[in-house]
Amino acid sequence: MAEDESRISIAKTFPVKPKLRPTSNKATPTPESKYWKSFKIPKDIETIPSKSFIYPITSIAFSPIAPHDFAATHSANITIFSGKTLEPKSTIASAFADSATSAAFRCDGKLLAAGDLTGTVHVFDAKSRTHLRRLKGHASAARLVRYPRADDKFHLFSGGDDSVVKYWDVTTETCLFDLLGHKDYVRCGDASPVSDDMFASGSYDHKVRIWDIRVSNSGSVMELNHEKPVESVLYLPSGGLIATAGGNFVKIWDVIGGGKLLYSMESHNKTVTSLCVGKIGKESGEEAQQYRILSVSLDGYMKVFDYAKFKITHSMRFPNPLLSVGFSPDCSTRVIGTSNGTFYIGRRKVNVQSDDLADVVGLGAVEVEPERRVLRPTYFRYFHRGQNTKPAEGDYLITRPKKLKFAEHDKFLKKFRHKEALVAALSGKNPENVVAVMEELVARKKLLKCVSNLDGEELGLLLGFLQKYSTMPRYAGFLMRLTDKVVETRAEDIGSSDQLRGIIRNLRRDVEEEIRIQQSMQEIQGIISPMLRIAARR
Amino acid sequence: MITGGKSFVSSPPAFSNDAKRLLVCTGNTVSIFSTSTGLQISELEGHGAPVTSVIVVPASTPASKVLCHCWTASLDGKIKFWDFTAPELMRTIDVRLPIHSMVIPNLLNQPTKSNGKSPNLFAYIYVEVVKQKEGQPNSSCGQIRKCNLTQSRLAGGVNLAETHKPGCITISPSGKYIGICEAHKLRIWEIPTKDSDNAVYKKIRLHHTKTFTTLAFHPTERVVAAGDVTGRILLWRGVGHRTFSTGDKFINGGLNKDAEERPGVRGDDDADSCTTWHWHSVEVNVLFFSSDGAYLFSGGREGVFVVWQLDTGKKKFLPRIGSPLLYFTNSSDPSLSSISCANNRIHLLRMPSMEILRSISGIKLPSSVSDIYEGSGSGVFFDHTAGLVAVPTDNYSVQFYSLFNDCEISEVQICERNHQPGDEATVKVNLVALSRDGSTMGTVETRVPEERIGGLASLKFWACGSQNKDFSLSTVIYEPHRDAGVSSIAFHPTCPMAVTSSYGGDFKIWVRTPDTRLKDQMLQSSGWRCHAVGSYKKKPMTAAAFSADGSVLAVAAENVITLWDPEQNILVAVVGDVLEPITTLSFVGKSAYLVSASPGSNPQLTLWSMSKLSTSWSYKLNAEDVSCSLDGSTFAILALLPKTSESVEPAEGTLQGVDGAILLFNVENPVPLATWFVSKAQGGKLGFIQTSPKLEDEFADVKPDHGLLAYMNSDYEYVLFDPYGEKDHNQSITREQNLSNLEEKEKIGYASIYGELAEFSVEKDQTQIPYIPYEKNWETIFSGPSHKLAPLTKLCLDFLESSLERRSVTVE
Repeated sequence: MAEDESRISIAKTFPVKPKLRPTSNKATPTPESKYWKSFKIPKDIETIPSKSFIYPITSIAFSPIAPHDFAATHSANITIFSGKTLEPKSTIASAFADSATSAAFRCDGKLLAAGDLTGTVHVFDAKSRTHLRRLKGHASAARLVRYPRADDKFHLFSGGDDSVVKYWDVTTETCLFDLLGHKDYVRCGDASPVSDDMFASGSYDHKVRIWDIRVSNSGSVMELNHEKPVESVLYLPSGGLIATAGGNFVKIWDVIGGGKLLYSMESHNKTVTSLCVGKIGKESGEEAQQYRILSVSLDGYMKVFDYAKFKITHSMRFPNPLLSVGFSPDCSTRVIGTSNGTFYIGRRKVNVQSDDLADVVGLGAVEVEPERRVLRPTYFRYFHRGQNTKPAEGDYLITRPKKLKFAEHDKFLKKFRHKEALVAALSGKNPENVVAVMEELVARKKLLKCVSNLDGEELGLLLGFLQKYSTMPRYAGFLMRLTDKVVETRAEDIGSSDQLRGIIRNLRRDVEEEIRIQQSMQEIQGIISPMLRIAARR
Repeated sequence: MITGGKSFVSSPPAFSNDAKRLLVCTGNTVSIFSTSTGLQISELEGHGAPVTSVIVVPASTPASKVLCHCWTASLDGKIKFWDFTAPELMRTIDVRLPIHSMVIPNLLNQPTKSNGKSPNLFAYIYVEVVKQKEGQPNSSCGQIRKCNLTQSRLAGGVNLAETHKPGCITISPSGKYIGICEAHKLRIWEIPTKDSDNAVYKKIRLHHTKTFTTLAFHPTERVVAAGDVTGRILLWRGVGHRTFSTGDKFINGGLNKDAEERPGVRGDDDADSCTTWHWHSVEVNVLFFSSDGAYLFSGGREGVFVVWQLDTGKKKFLPRIGSPLLYFTNSSDPSLSSISCANNRIHLLRMPSMEILRSISGIKLPSSVSDIYEGSGSGVFFDHTAGLVAVPTDNYSVQFYSLFNDCEISEVQICERNHQPGDEATVKVNLVALSRDGSTMGTVETRVPEERIGGLASLKFWACGSQNKDFSLSTVIYEPHRDAGVSSIAFHPTCPMAVTSSYGGDFKIWVRTPDTRLKDQMLQSSGWRCHAVGSYKKKPMTAAAFSADGSVLAVAAENVITLWDPEQNILVAVVGDVLEPITTLSFVGKSAYLVSASPGSNPQLTLWSMSKLSTSWSYKLNAEDVSCSLDGSTFAILALLPKTSESVEPAEGTLQGVDGAILLFNVENPVPLATWFVSKAQGGKLGFIQTSPKLEDEFADVKPDHGLLAYMNSDYEYVLFDPYGEKDHNQSITREQNLSNLEEKEKIGYASIYGELAEFSVEKDQTQIPYIPYEKNWETIFSGPSHKLAPLTKLCLDFLESSLERRSVTVE
């Protein structure tokens, strides 16, 4: 019957619709920001480990070997966290005479090196915490300690506040080269991911120098002028680009192309303190397996920078100044350290089970799933396709006419039962629908008639609605006047019922509150408008 | 000169005998539509005033079905006889009285006598007679007169009835009775079977307490149905047993029945019984008995077509027709009928299933209740380039109507709301504007508040999807100027920018944000947003217009004109001071002139020079509408003539109903270039229309920068003419004849069930077979595979021939 009607009817039928609301422009987050947001504090960590620290976390280093433990320096300690459970595993405390700095794992993850403010560089066994070597040579605080990243296990380099970069042979505890050139504190540096012989150091003299120990006696190979005290230097995975942070900027340099400045990212509001390489560890999607620069700053923002497109792809705010950042090589963990000792550890949920399963059946999978034959109209199975069959590309689609869904109030309105429609809308929960029905009744000039026909209970419903929503700015213009009329026309009914009187009292309170707000708003406007006028005149 | 936009529903249409054509009275002409395609086939032109009746001569024998003759009557007092296939005028009878309705009772059973002399054919016409009484102004009244069509004269002295106002005569399907509704009573006459000039009529009256609106006769029985203004349908049975002669000579006992035995019959009315059906909530406009007399069809203001089973009173409905029904017409084909709706549509109905086959649709008529919105205009907008007019309709949509082709292009639903035809219009689309290139439409709809609650104006911007003017909603702005109403909307000529002005004292400039397609994201919809707000001394802004290059925005702030830079929103200048609020502003083409019109008690039409920022010249004229040519320096105004005007008197006294004049001006000269007098100018519209490229050859002598001028009166009838041409030249502009002659060939028998068979030629097979005659071929003739053998007819001939011995010598 309904189908019949729709076929022969000429005038279309429209349900009552609420007014459209403006939609925000970023209604759908990009897949990438979804990815970065998916790093959450895992639920299974009961005690947040950060509670125990009160000193700034000066550096974070991830072990390159699975399960990617990470070490954080704070005060005179290094704490090693388990990469699996994210719990603190062990703490090296006794070795340091002063605050520890710049933890670094060797390329096989077995050794851990860190500097301290006295200028000594310490080397530990990462597992047993045995203090293996002490590299003494820096005249003041050693703020930079790094192992070469490729496969050199015998050397490391360090930089200190004495503006010297030293290249050490770890086994003999001897300094092989003193690399001179910086004129101020050396605070940061990074080893090239592709060559054991090259590394960069950044200093407060605004310069980043790139060193090659093969030509060590002729000073630095290249000099990049960051124009601000350099806080962090990062070799990007290709080895051809360097990112430097200092001041409010992050700059990208092309090292192979002669140290050309490619881009300067200036979206932080305070000093950028640390950089690290992040990777989108998704299997699919356009950005899968792409590298990003994570930068943290004292303004509390972590920004994700796509250095291929020179675009900020994600930005995240934290309540504290951020000092250090680390990202695990397996893309599962992101750690940020702050100036008050708080860690923000984010872990991405990975479907471990499915991974395991894939590993187990990985070999047998080929034979388990035989290739299904493509359906052709000559096959019998072709005619047994179900409703779920997806149309092929060339298929001509006949869409089923959309069935209009009528709410209860629509059905009443269709039958011109106006009061029932209003009551039906009121007993629904959506205020937008109620207002839409009321507006439709206004268009039919029936609203006031409906109001006068409501019995006690329904009137209570209406007054309750009015009390709740008449001060909401979206509906106020319409509902205030209606409230006025309702109170005016139904005064004696309201007076005779305690419950209704209670609602009216609440309504009165709300209205008074609203008036107070309006007044204070007007005061503010009074203050602002002369200023705006003056500003406009200039 | 092109005219169009006529009402299809001013009077009932008529079907041709074969039910393939529908004759519709459209103004001064009768348009003939094909019922199978719904397109216009031809037109009967000849009347000088609106045609009020069209009667097709019915076919008495199957052979005469091909005859296509019809009678038409018109307000110009002429009755014409046509052959409408040709179409050809055959006869004209001048009765010199405006005919409002005509019936010809004896048309059906007109006996053709063997001696070839047919009796006189009489028509009953409802005419308007102007009476001259002493001491009184001329008062008109309606009279039913009789006209001898055979002898082309009025039957002298016959005046069946005299009423206050001429209306509609209803005739029974058998042609035996005619009747009219007159206030609270029905008057019914019996037409004698042998009608003559001085026949005697038997008549009865039926009374009711309400005003009748329509009446219908049962095809076989003496049953009369009538509808009244309250929606009641009254059904009298056994009407006129006392008065009218019964065919079977049996005077039944109804004569002696007293009041108790005649339930529902009022007073001394001559009927056996009267029953009342009340379903319609408002007045009944349509009543019609089905041809077998078993059903009664009714329809009214609420737009629902109801079929009543006459014996039981059971109802079936065809709901949601969307407009008040006006007429129902049936055809000789029992399955095909038509209903005419007030929104200028005729629906062709397949009858037992009540299915709408197709609709013939004209320009949507203006809504009758439009004056509740002060000063908002009718909202009609001319699309200069496409030759279209956008007309807001009753059911909250905008109809695009082609002026050149006189047909509907499309309809855009502006406000998604169910339209109830009977209701008072409280939501209305009152402003429509199109951008110069036709790609964007701006509409303003207003909802009237109920006791100051819930009034709402919403501004909508629409983007044109394809070329066929199907617009999709781009942006909705609720309450663009807070509570104040929007007075005008105008588009920038080149870039996507629009301005709305409001009575609340400000105007807003809207711009479209460009499309931004972000990667991996949905297309961010391009919306319109507010670019700037301006106001001038809190005065109500009454009109707005952009200059031709878009560099200047003129906004009328009541009595003065403010000029703005639309990009920077800087007030450039303020000019003028007129006595009444300005309602229309327009820049004259590319010239540096601005024309403003302010109606009211001190009307003024002023031309402002933009270079001097001063008045160039002005008239004390009540200009209803102003339209400027796009490129040239001319503009046309539609001026309302003052009621008691001696100065502007119509040139000919015969021009009735002239209340306006179109004046064509050049900016240089305050003397109008040309003047035309028009009727129904109140609420009329003017627009310059570009000559469409299709018509270019016809207008070889029209300069390309000069468009055509379109004038649309308050009834949405329009005329399109070349304002610069000479008078006789007007005739050269003829409508692009798109009258379709293609009538679908009716399929019969096998084809009607299974469709056409594929054509194939029978000879093809035979020609390809090699066939060699051979003397003694009977040995070889049957050899070879059977499918290669020649057909039997040939083989047989050869075989016989070969087996016979041929005579060597032919005998002379």
